[in-house]
Amino acid sequence: MADLTTKYMGLTLRNPLIIASSGLTDSFGKIAELERNGAGAVVLKSLFEEQIILEAEHNLKEARDNRLIYAEYSETLDYIDVHVSEKELGKYLDIIKQVKKDLMIPLIASVNCISNIGWTGFAKQIEKAGADALELNIFITPFGFDNNCEETEKKYYKILRKVKQEISIPVAVKISPFFTNLGKVIMNFEAEGANGVVLFNRFTNPDIDIDNINVTVAEVFSNPAEMNNSLRWIAILANRLKIDIAASSGVHDGKAVIKQILAGARVVQVASTLYKNGVSYIIEMLKYMESWMDKKGFNYIDQFRGKLSQEKYSRPDIYERLQFMKYFGEIK
Amino acid sequence: MNEIKDYLKEERNQPWRVELRKSIKSKDRIDRLRVHMPEADPTIRNKNFNEVNKGLDPEQAVFEAGRCLDCANPTCIDGCPVEINIPKFIKQIEAGDFNGAAATLKETNSLPAVCGRVCPQEKQCEATCFYSISLKKDPIAIGHLERFAADYERNSGNVSVPVVDKSNRIKIAIIGSGPAGLACAGDMAKLGYHVTVFEALHELGGVLKYGIPEFRLPNKIVDLEIDILKKMGVNFRKNFIIGKTLTFDNLREQGFKAFFVGSGAGNPTFMNIPGENYNNIFSSNEYLTRVNLMNAADIEYDTPVISGKNVAVIGGGNTAMDSVRTAKRLGADRAIIIYRRSMEEMPARVEEVKHALEEEIEFMNLHNPVEYFADEKGRVNKMRIQKMKLGEPDSSGRRRPIPIENSEFNIEIDTVILGVGVSPNPLIPGVMPDLKISKWGTIEVNPETMQSSVEDIFAGGDIVRGGATVILALGDGRLAAAGMHKYISEKVKVN
Repeated sequence: MADLTTKYMGLTLRNPLIIASSGLTDSFGKIAELERNGAGAVVLKSLFEEQIILEAEHNLKEARDNRLIYAEYSETLDYIDVHVSEKELGKYLDIIKQVKKDLMIPLIASVNCISNIGWTGFAKQIEKAGADALELNIFITPFGFDNNCEETEKKYYKILRKVKQEISIPVAVKISPFFTNLGKVIMNFEAEGANGVVLFNRFTNPDIDIDNINVTVAEVFSNPAEMNNSLRWIAILANRLKIDIAASSGVHDGKAVIKQILAGARVVQVASTLYKNGVSYIIEMLKYMESWMDKKGFNYIDQFRGKLSQEKYSRPDIYERLQFMKYFGEIK
Repeated sequence: MNEIKDYLKEERNQPWRVELRKSIKSKDRIDRLRVHMPEADPTIRNKNFNEVNKGLDPEQAVFEAGRCLDCANPTCIDGCPVEINIPKFIKQIEAGDFNGAAATLKETNSLPAVCGRVCPQEKQCEATCFYSISLKKDPIAIGHLERFAADYERNSGNVSVPVVDKSNRIKIAIIGSGPAGLACAGDMAKLGYHVTVFEALHELGGVLKYGIPEFRLPNKIVDLEIDILKKMGVNFRKNFIIGKTLTFDNLREQGFKAFFVGSGAGNPTFMNIPGENYNNIFSSNEYLTRVNLMNAADIEYDTPVISGKNVAVIGGGNTAMDSVRTAKRLGADRAIIIYRRSMEEMPARVEEVKHALEEEIEFMNLHNPVEYFADEKGRVNKMRIQKMKLGEPDSSGRRRPIPIENSEFNIEIDTVILGVGVSPNPLIPGVMPDLKISKWGTIEVNPETMQSSVEDIFAGGDIVRGGATVILALGDGRLAAAGMHKYISEKVKVN
């Protein structure tokens, strides 16, 4: 019988399937359900810095429209963003405490940072509440066209550095693939003390509705083809990094989990597929893995993890862009 | 609306008003400069708790009242949350009928001596005065005149006790003795109800006593209003927590037919920054309550507060100003306001800021605390402050504070007081699961009647608004009294 146990950033997981930060992980009840269905770990739904700012704005608007909520010149309203933030953070910490009190599943907290202000102190509280690790979902919006790329990258490192100074639990950084020199950036995260890296973050994207001639939100869920970019980078980096790599985006079935581990991922994060197939689909994915491992004669994850990484595979060039273009050139 | 306009017109056309208007030319009225409120010497007053504003004398009051043009369309009333007949009381002062002016104020405002001292008139009635909006001159000193009329009546010894209807023997309970509760109690007593006010603290007056220092609102002013209510037959029970000492059901069993909840917003909020739990870091609520109600400034008492030498007060509102000025009076060498926006955006009353500046309070605007540090005994001894800049305006119209990176620095400090806001008192909502509570923790009410989702419970003031001015709380109390009376008249059968 295959043993799916694995380690991620020093945490022992009963299997490599982590439920990604999403609406599936935003309450104690849902996390308990994920545990019952066999999830290896969960990443709590991210606390969005921007969301807190928007909520504060919403409260301000309501206060202006409705005189029964706060005097316009009250101190409470003057610091409404601080209070909204405190309330949201308090709710977040309560979930961590309850999960750690009543469940066994490893819990990774997650914050979505657009700056290094305020979050470092919160990281300390997350640790105190009992989270096993922290995932920093960092994205500095690239719409300031006068900004220097290097300066933007430095902000990422600064956030990580500040958080690492504050806490001793493992910290993973979840990023998008949109960097000029992605490999170097990830190596820099390692140098700055990250314990893991999650490849990759997904964003909501705009779409255009040509019938109503307006802008809409594109498909929210990932599709299996989105996995290929993270697969490539995980394979390229697997043996270059000492820190753990988590695969994310486009992993929709047991087969995809195995692919990412063969490329070199320690763990694999899923969300969209559970939205589509239900939480019990975790069991199906794990069964598929066990059956595949039995068939291939693998008893442990580590026996095949990274087997097809760039360094170990007989044709390392296949993971690189030039060869990718040549491939298309040949079939043309 | 038309009825009110007709009433105001009718009042304005009374012969005495017409004659008074004609007695001074409008041009001469406009040429007069706004009266200056006499104040105690700042270098002396910042060492004691005596009232800072001394009040106008009759001559000054009559002169200031003479500036009022008695407008046909009195826009000042639009700025008053309880629509006091402002021109009428001002003209009564001009005519020398000071007690009449007090009576006019009391038609709609049961605590004029309080409101005349603490209401932000510059943002309400004075902001909509004809002088402000059309002449671009200093508005009529409506607040000063309100205070004058109320004080004159009190000092004359002719304070009238309102006439109370014959007792209907119906018991009603008021929870909280702050401004909303007192206003509701007064109106219900006038209607003949048997009113009992339950107060959780050992002193009556709510935020007027625990939250506002003596130098801004002397306790005797509040006590007088409470004495009048007592003379009207209102009962007061101190140290009585509804939901703990007795429940609503206990009170219903004792025959109480309706309740007014005016339990306020006494729950302090913090900023959730590292080190906030160190010793000598207070909320303004705790600090002011201990000084105002528990003699904490006197080391002979059981629960003194430390007389910090370097005191930082976080915030830019009236509570922050009250705290920092209190700290100065308790002997602070440096009493500093640390506020993340600029002076222009401060929610505190202009007068409070002016007084604070005169009293040698330091202002570190565009600064925000990011961390506190402590000595080996856990007492705060240092704080880290970050410089801020102002960004685009938020929904309140004030420019949003934005931290400046790498601008942090430390200052030595031994006491920190946070005046960054409050949230509704959770006691009553906590013991009444059927009470509909908003996401802010306030009690939801019908704004016409102040009736809650539990039909015999009415509410008003900060527990409904989250944070209100005294006059808004008074208005709520009175509205609730009308709503409660209607409810009892229609629904409750009296044996």
